[in-house]
Amino acid sequence: MPLSEALKQRVINDYFPRYPTKRAALMPTLWMAQDELGWLSTETLAEIGELLELDPTDVESVASFYVMFNRRPIGRKLIEVCENPSCWVNGASQTLERICHKLGLDPHAGHSGATTADGEYTVRPTECVAACDYAPAIQVNWRYYGPVKPEDAEAFLENMDRFALERDGLTPMFGTHEQRFKDGSAWQVDPASNGAPPPKPKEEEKK
Amino acid sequence: MAQSPPGQPAPPPPPLRGDPVAGGGKPGLPVPFEPVLTAAFGDPNSLKLDNYVRRGGYTALRRAVEQMTPDEVIKDMSDSKLVGRGGAGFPTGLKWSGTKRNPAPRYLVVNADESEPGTFGNRYAIEGDPHMLIEGMLLCCYAVEIKVAHIYIRGENRRGAEILENAIAEAYKGHYLGKSILGKEGFDVEMYLTRGAGAYICGEETALMESLEGRRAQPRIRPPFPVDVGGGLFGRPTVVNNVETLMCAPHIINRGPGWFASIGNPNSPGPKVYTISGHVNKPGVYELPMGVTLRDLVYKYGGGMQRGQRIKAVSPGALACQLLSEEHLDVTMDTATLTRPPFFTDFGPVGFGAGGIIVYGEECEIIDLLVNSSGFFARESCGKCVPCREGTTWMHMMLRRMSLGGARPRDLDVLLDVARNVGGRKTLCALGDFAVSAIGSSFRLFKNDLEQAVNARAEQRGNGHSTGRTERTPAHV
Repeated sequence: MPLSEALKQRVINDYFPRYPTKRAALMPTLWMAQDELGWLSTETLAEIGELLELDPTDVESVASFYVMFNRRPIGRKLIEVCENPSCWVNGASQTLERICHKLGLDPHAGHSGATTADGEYTVRPTECVAACDYAPAIQVNWRYYGPVKPEDAEAFLENMDRFALERDGLTPMFGTHEQRFKDGSAWQVDPASNGAPPPKPKEEEKK
Repeated sequence: MAQSPPGQPAPPPPPLRGDPVAGGGKPGLPVPFEPVLTAAFGDPNSLKLDNYVRRGGYTALRRAVEQMTPDEVIKDMSDSKLVGRGGAGFPTGLKWSGTKRNPAPRYLVVNADESEPGTFGNRYAIEGDPHMLIEGMLLCCYAVEIKVAHIYIRGENRRGAEILENAIAEAYKGHYLGKSILGKEGFDVEMYLTRGAGAYICGEETALMESLEGRRAQPRIRPPFPVDVGGGLFGRPTVVNNVETLMCAPHIINRGPGWFASIGNPNSPGPKVYTISGHVNKPGVYELPMGVTLRDLVYKYGGGMQRGQRIKAVSPGALACQLLSEEHLDVTMDTATLTRPPFFTDFGPVGFGAGGIIVYGEECEIIDLLVNSSGFFARESCGKCVPCREGTTWMHMMLRRMSLGGARPRDLDVLLDVARNVGGRKTLCALGDFAVSAIGSSFRLFKNDLEQAVNARAEQRGNGHSTGRTERTPAHV
């Protein structure tokens, strides 16, 4: 399927003026093409090359470098499970396996992912998505979900909204926004204790 | 109270929120500390321009434009002793003045490609207070006389990109971007957002610029450095700064460099957004003075360890840093401490990275951790330098074989030898060093654990004791 005329006009009018070279518009153009068509075929890349005055192989070398550019069709829901240490110590690998098992996919398909026969889901492991406080974190079409513990994997597939992190227009988070920080109680540090190690935590005393 | 250095014409402005009381007259004293960077996080209205202005936003820019020369802004940044928050720890004032020495046109590039496993402070910063970043960028543009600023945000953070696009549009509407900003003749800034597409290497400044220019993100040969002609974006002198570094700028201008320098460790001062994750009960974003102890971070703020387990290892600045163990609980977490002896080992500095702390409890086996982390670097190596491209993949394959019970005699010696030949500045960027830091430090701290686990698994081999997944294809294959 060829690129739409609107997209080409947008590249020419919005993106060419931003950069001194036409080549620099490649990343935004690839993104827009993928958003429009779902994936980047060789024909699409050639068309982009024509638009940006680049060799088609040159465009392909860039598009295939970045893992988020799909060089083959993917499912309507792209489920990416982070498997880096923060998520991994909280059970991300098992979550991935359970999700794949439920959908009848191969959990060991690697980082290019596996797609269900009906084209609904593609599941693949991914690198850190910067939601380590909601480990194991999952992105579905690059929206944040978590934490999805291994035992929650089936519930997650049934009702993803329950795990969505982007509620009320804001990602909720642990940390300094909490009341104990807002009212200052967490900041009350005894000046005399500065430099001295605080008392050891309880579980260490037991041993 | 903020102290202006002698020769600075303008007195410190009234503080934005309450009285700045950091320092208490004694450097390094974290009492009582007031968060400034994360103050608005968690408020759904904080994304709006009018809310930011009501909270005292853009006063620093107005103050800089109306009362200070660009060089005075750079001097304030230098006096504040702010060091880059992205990991390398380069003094920000020096970077700005170094770029300004080179001829225009110059560029500002914001590195919002935060992909280090375990760091997520920048994502919350962008999603929590985008206008603070824009104000910091404008201060940099004013000081270094830059007309075009690019933000490069990682592709996974789609929501952050949407929020920033909206914030930039609002700032244009409010005349904080565009021509003659705040009525200052000649102060024109155009700001653009570019999305990455999932490459860890884009966090490296020259690779980021390659990506921004529409190429594969592979690091460039330095020199020329980004601040020099020929080394920066499109060959022009370029300031590449981290999101958090730029967010510090408005507060430094508003409260004075003395206020900033009085917080935390005097060698790398300031408020720092720590992110804690892993086996802790309350993982999250914590803004604290530079130089809180690891013990405080884990037990006081992080809420202690899950299921009451003991700490096995800690990655002090996310995956790229060397591991620490329970004996290092009292080390202060800041750039200056973790990059100098005794935290400078034969595998280079332990490193503080961007302040993303991953805590591993006893439930985590070091060998499995190394398999996981080496796999990450094997997949994310860009493939330009041979030691990194080949070495990371081979180390991952060796470690995986060992973790699955296939260890051969002398495997650990060979692994250490490979690690020494990948690390140690043998590659264009630091990814080679990052890839071996966890392995090298494990040999120093956990050699017994490693040997025991590897031998035990080799004995159990064939009894169904496989622990790792078998199919981990490197990304560039």
